[in-house]
Amino acid sequence: MYQKIAIIAFLITLACIVLHRIVVPSNKRLPGNSTSHRLSIIGMLRILVYLAVLFCFVVLAMTGFYPTLVLGEHISGYLVMVHATFAPVFAVFLAVLAVMWAKRWRFTSGDCPLFERIVRWATLANGPVANNYGESSCLGQKISFWLIIFLALPLILSVVLSMFPLFGTYWQELLLGVHRYTALVFAMVAILHTYFIIRT
Amino acid sequence: MRKGFILTGFSCLLVLCLSAITVCFENEALGAEIPGTLLGDKSDGSRAHPTHLIPLVSENEDGEQGGIISPDDEPLLPFSMRWTCGECHSYGIINKGWHFSAPDPNIAPGRAGHPWILTDARTGTQIPLSYRQWPGTFRPEQLGLSSREFVKYFGRHTPGGGAGELETEDMDEIMREYVSGKLEINCLSCHNADPGQDQGGATGYAVQIARENFRWAAAASCEFASVSGSANDMPDTYDPFMPEAPEDAKKVPPTIKYRQTAFDQDNNVSFNIVREVPDHRCYFCHSNLYIDSAETEKWNTDEDIHLTAGMKCVDCHRNGIDHNIIRGYEGESSASANNLSAASSCEGCHLGEKDSSSPVAGRLGAPVPEHPGIPPVHFERMTCTACHSGPWPQEKTVLTKTSRAHRLGTVGVNKAHEALPHISSPVFAERENGKIAPYKMVWPAYWGIIKDQEVAPIDFDVVKQKVGQVLANEKLPASGDWPALSDENITEALKSLKGAVEGEPVYVSGGKVYSLDDSGKLWSEEHKAAEPYLWPIAHNVRPAAQSLGIRYCTDCHATDAPFFFGDVAVDSPVVTGRETKQMVEFQDVDPSYARAFAFSFVFRPMMKIVCLGSCAIMAVVLLLYALKALACVVKVLAGSD
Repeated sequence: MYQKIAIIAFLITLACIVLHRIVVPSNKRLPGNSTSHRLSIIGMLRILVYLAVLFCFVVLAMTGFYPTLVLGEHISGYLVMVHATFAPVFAVFLAVLAVMWAKRWRFTSGDCPLFERIVRWATLANGPVANNYGESSCLGQKISFWLIIFLALPLILSVVLSMFPLFGTYWQELLLGVHRYTALVFAMVAILHTYFIIRT
Repeated sequence: MRKGFILTGFSCLLVLCLSAITVCFENEALGAEIPGTLLGDKSDGSRAHPTHLIPLVSENEDGEQGGIISPDDEPLLPFSMRWTCGECHSYGIINKGWHFSAPDPNIAPGRAGHPWILTDARTGTQIPLSYRQWPGTFRPEQLGLSSREFVKYFGRHTPGGGAGELETEDMDEIMREYVSGKLEINCLSCHNADPGQDQGGATGYAVQIARENFRWAAAASCEFASVSGSANDMPDTYDPFMPEAPEDAKKVPPTIKYRQTAFDQDNNVSFNIVREVPDHRCYFCHSNLYIDSAETEKWNTDEDIHLTAGMKCVDCHRNGIDHNIIRGYEGESSASANNLSAASSCEGCHLGEKDSSSPVAGRLGAPVPEHPGIPPVHFERMTCTACHSGPWPQEKTVLTKTSRAHRLGTVGVNKAHEALPHISSPVFAERENGKIAPYKMVWPAYWGIIKDQEVAPIDFDVVKQKVGQVLANEKLPASGDWPALSDENITEALKSLKGAVEGEPVYVSGGKVYSLDDSGKLWSEEHKAAEPYLWPIAHNVRPAAQSLGIRYCTDCHATDAPFFFGDVAVDSPVVTGRETKQMVEFQDVDPSYARAFAFSFVFRPMMKIVCLGSCAIMAVVLLLYALKALACVVKVLAGSD
């Protein structure tokens, strides 16, 4: 069941990316993303952290999804060891990423004018609506970033908590299910996020 | 024309009547074998114990029902279980039960169980036997053992029936059988609650079987009869129904005496028969002694937690009149017709059947386990018994004695710890069902002939004669342990067998097959035929607080945890063949992986801290920006933007 759902989910993700690439033309580069100017040490560190997270994600996704999607069985053997080895590293880098990139990917008034108009209409608030549509191309990245941080919590906690003698078999199975399905959504969001980054 | 019709009709009527009469007679003849037809075949619903004040019935010389026994009879015959108990309980149904059905090829063998182990230190023999088709065991006839000989060796720890009632076409065996009788089912072995029931005493059941007093054995075990003499000493021409004094005055024919006061005025006898078999009756054949410390006295060891909690063996191991007793293992329902087999396994009582229409978990007060902190994969890869049964695993497997293998509970038993056969336990191994479970293990040691990589055992009499002669001067330890055989001993023995048997003689021992090459030099190799025979440990079940994993994962997942890395003794009389293997070699697990995985648990606590810390930081970041977002919303709602 999970195997089918996961395959369908990944196919949908890929379809969305292809569709987005066809329908939405490539935007101009964001000022902050320009590689023309020199990076500070912090900036380099940020990018390194980003790359480390990406690398860990790839390893975890490969070791986690390969046995499920390709072999149709649970993760076991050396794969589970690699998975468990990279998991805490991933968690650490993801936490650092959250700290370093949260401000950059915070939502601003220009991210979604439509949403802003709806809020203003609903609250009868006055004032000008920001018209900086150029930055709205970051919206996908921002949403996916915050989703990644948010999903990381159940993803990590579901496994770590199951290692404590707190939850019985029923809850263990539930936690395992939470981990697997959260991992699936997390992977989809991470793929989209990477796509948005590459596009900009 | 009309006459013809009348004649035809009359003929048809006659045929019908004759058919009806024939069927009636057949039914009458089969009456004793049809289920539910006899008084004691089906309960009326009362849970009370029925009184058994009944006459004793003997078997006649034709093997049929004899007369009612009176203490004044001459000659005085032993009562027959078939005809005494069979008066009210269908013997023909009972003898299909699990305890009696081993030789029946139509009965599914089910999960591999405790074999009979033919042991002879002198010839270096230790070979698992069974009439059931359990892989790794040999049928007695493969070693040239007749059913009579098999019963003489092992009948002591059976409730009779089975091999004891097998038919034979061998004239010599038929003549011996007339003298000794058949070993009928001894109902009293299990169902007699009288403390005088003697299974292993000086004149009890086991001794009578060793004397070939098969016909007398059941009666001898009861509290009001005693048997002397030996059918084994009688010639083939001896007639127990018209006994004559033997020529040799030292030899005593089998003779029974009944306690006069046991009979009432109508020659009825009162039996203390119980439907629910007392535990100590089961223990006679099903006791285990794990030699894991110097102190192995009964008071030093605990019983199974179920018995300690007040249950009886038969609370789980149940059966009806068919005596198709529940063995209690997972998946038994696919091999057993007992409708309670699924509900009476560990899962059946503690978790309930998954497809049951009503809640059945907690039967007999079984607690429903929570298993906090145990990843569900453990339940896919291990049986319940892996963590809960048998002795706590130690650095090395321990020698284990069982009633059936070591004649426990009988007269003159060798109490030395090293007495053969050598059974090792607990061995955590993975078998056919793909789950790791604790096992008892015996390494086969026997002389055989190899052909097309298949090894067939040599007739045991030939082995005793040829190999016994070669090894006659080897010192046998007083403890009953193996003699210390050298490669030269094996070489000499193989040479002696070469002329006596057709084919290439080999010696199987300690996981290897020993044979002579063309130059007469001994060589050995690991061989499938030498693989150990394993059978599961189900009892004693330890309390939950003593189960594996109760302290931490490292009960099993440590680099020195016996569960994976304990030493399993490779048993062999050949000194150079005695070594050890690691437990993981029996588990279909890569030893390097098992060690690496165990090593990873050193970092497990650190990993938990790191992950929880990372989650805390991410949660703070999320909370911070969520609050900022909230502040924005509040500003908008307040109209201050």
